[in-house]
Amino acid sequence: MDDDNTMPELAAVRDQWVGVEFDWTTFEMSAENMVAWAKACGETDPRFIDPSHHDFQAHPGFTTHCMSGRVFPKEFPQIGGGFGIDGGKRVEVHAPIRSGDTLTATTTIADIFEKTGRSGTMIFIVQRMEFRNEAKDLVSTVDWKMIKKAE
Amino acid sequence: MSAITKFEDLEIGDDLPGESPDVSMPRVTAFCHAAKHVFERFIDHEAAQREGFAAAIVPGIMSQGLLASMIHRWAPGCEILEIDTVFRGSLLVDSDITMTGAVTDTDDDALIAELDLAIVAEDGRTGVIGTARVQFEQ
Repeated sequence: MDDDNTMPELAAVRDQWVGVEFDWTTFEMSAENMVAWAKACGETDPRFIDPSHHDFQAHPGFTTHCMSGRVFPKEFPQIGGGFGIDGGKRVEVHAPIRSGDTLTATTTIADIFEKTGRSGTMIFIVQRMEFRNEAKDLVSTVDWKMIKKAE
Repeated sequence: MSAITKFEDLEIGDDLPGESPDVSMPRVTAFCHAAKHVFERFIDHEAAQREGFAAAIVPGIMSQGLLASMIHRWAPGCEILEIDTVFRGSLLVDSDITMTGAVTDTDDDALIAELDLAIVAEDGRTGVIGTARVQFEQ
């Protein structure tokens, strides 16, 4: 359940860091990797496994493997314990990613919040990467939920 | 339920056909190379055990991809607008896992279906839960 009694420290961190851009990276989209990814995921739709298909494109979650150069912004405070665990990924597909595209990803801290459950209080840090193609069109948004135990 | 070809054939509560995807070591290793995530915990049982896992584990982003492929088979030609997965527990490489899905809402004007998704491990634990929004052809 959501905890309304947010720690003041966490609120301050959220106010300071949510929305701050901290990394910019480019990624080349190759047909070979797009096909290998889709086939390994058991895909059978030719849109994703046949480069000669007229609508050949990357699998919906293909950008989830693209990692920003930094996990956190410089001088981001240590909150919670340890490095954290991967709590999951949300992918929004805005437009097809094509073979040969060069995507530019901008990374921000999208949210910081806490939840309390049976395991105690956990801190969620959401890192967001927005991918744009050469035409500056937004093609994919990936939210990575990193979970840390509150200290 | 068989493959859906028209949005009109959908109803809230429909189940997607369950699937048991291939998470053998060769398949997971192939994924890791495509994803450039070649870490021992994914491709080496003994190394994963040294890290405290029961065996090598399926990458979370691969489990999301497996679910996306299941959706494409259920509704050929559809477009996945959004897929959101929560990694709750480990799915082991070389094990038998089961994927399920169900229609939880529909937007009849936009031809969009919302789905609940899950992957259950061989021992019955739920390893992944998630949701998706799927656009059908006009």
